[in-house]
Amino acid sequence: MNDQERLFLSLAEQLASPFLQISRLAEISADDDPEAVSQRWQIVRAISEASVQLVESYALSLRIHGKVTPLRLEPLTVSSLLYDTAEQLQPFARQYGVELALDIGSRSTPIIADRTVLQAAMTSLGQVFVLAQAESDDTAAVHLSAHRSRYGIVAGLYGNAQLGADGLRRARALQGKARQPLQKLTSGPAAGVFVADSLLQTLAARLHVARYHNMTGLAATLQPSTQLQLV
Amino acid sequence: MHVLLIEPDKIQAMAAQQALKGAGHTVSHVLSAQGAVHAADEQMPDVVVLELQLPRHNGVEFLYEFRSYEEWLQVPVVVYTMVPPHALAHAATLEHELGVARVLHKPTTSLAQLCAAVQVIAPASHA
Repeated sequence: MNDQERLFLSLAEQLASPFLQISRLAEISADDDPEAVSQRWQIVRAISEASVQLVESYALSLRIHGKVTPLRLEPLTVSSLLYDTAEQLQPFARQYGVELALDIGSRSTPIIADRTVLQAAMTSLGQVFVLAQAESDDTAAVHLSAHRSRYGIVAGLYGNAQLGADGLRRARALQGKARQPLQKLTSGPAAGVFVADSLLQTLAARLHVARYHNMTGLAATLQPSTQLQLV
Repeated sequence: MHVLLIEPDKIQAMAAQQALKGAGHTVSHVLSAQGAVHAADEQMPDVVVLELQLPRHNGVEFLYEFRSYEEWLQVPVVVYTMVPPHALAHAATLEHELGVARVLHKPTTSLAQLCAAVQVIAPASHA
């Protein structure tokens, strides 16, 4: 199986879950009162929108890798991008009782990147973190953070999933071969991690394990634009 | 009858909980294997409904631990999992060594069928 086939398998396994959730919610809603049914519809809407987003991100990754769609590079700030990511993730996170926290600082150096690609990567990753934190017995919160390091601007998501660099390496090796590629991160196929990784590769970045404020997470290091800094 | 539901997905757990309560059972829900041991310690379950794909320790690891305690040796377990039957490497072990009464594949098993399976394997005192 090649990398794309593994990614597709992982995505297929990932998407079985929301379909099943919708089916089960429909089954129990048959006997519910109208108010409970209305709440169920909100859940259905949030999980189906998140699933569509994941499929679209996967398709975007295929189109860019296959050179069907060119990258549209533009100046942007990572902080504004993470803000939009948090907005997009909010309805999904709410259904799982997970809080999103933004830690983006007051001023952020601009970068040159494809906004759609970068946001799709962060949102796909965010979904995995929401699901992982929801499965945790601890306080459920996901932190979206952008900060400077000596290597560039580190944009990532963090929680208390205790993911190690070995875990990510093993996950990449096992993708499509095992059903629990990220044991410490989530019990599911975690397709969002691999979709995000694939999208970030098109921007010459890659996901890496990062630590921030006693949390572990996955992040990408992006290069600030020295020309834009002068503007 | 008291059911211990071990399910990491909160939305699927909510649906299963409602269906089991509707069938007249009381339900304790936990997200992980570790939480399940604590919950079983607090209130002895009559039946355990278990997803094998759990964060940190998987369902098979949980079963080995659960069956290592004498008081839980006879508690019936229904595996209700996303893992498809052909990918279930431990199927024989589950049945013979770990005393799993039924293995149900979630995508092809409705909540009504889950409730029926729980009812069928219930200990004689509750049947």
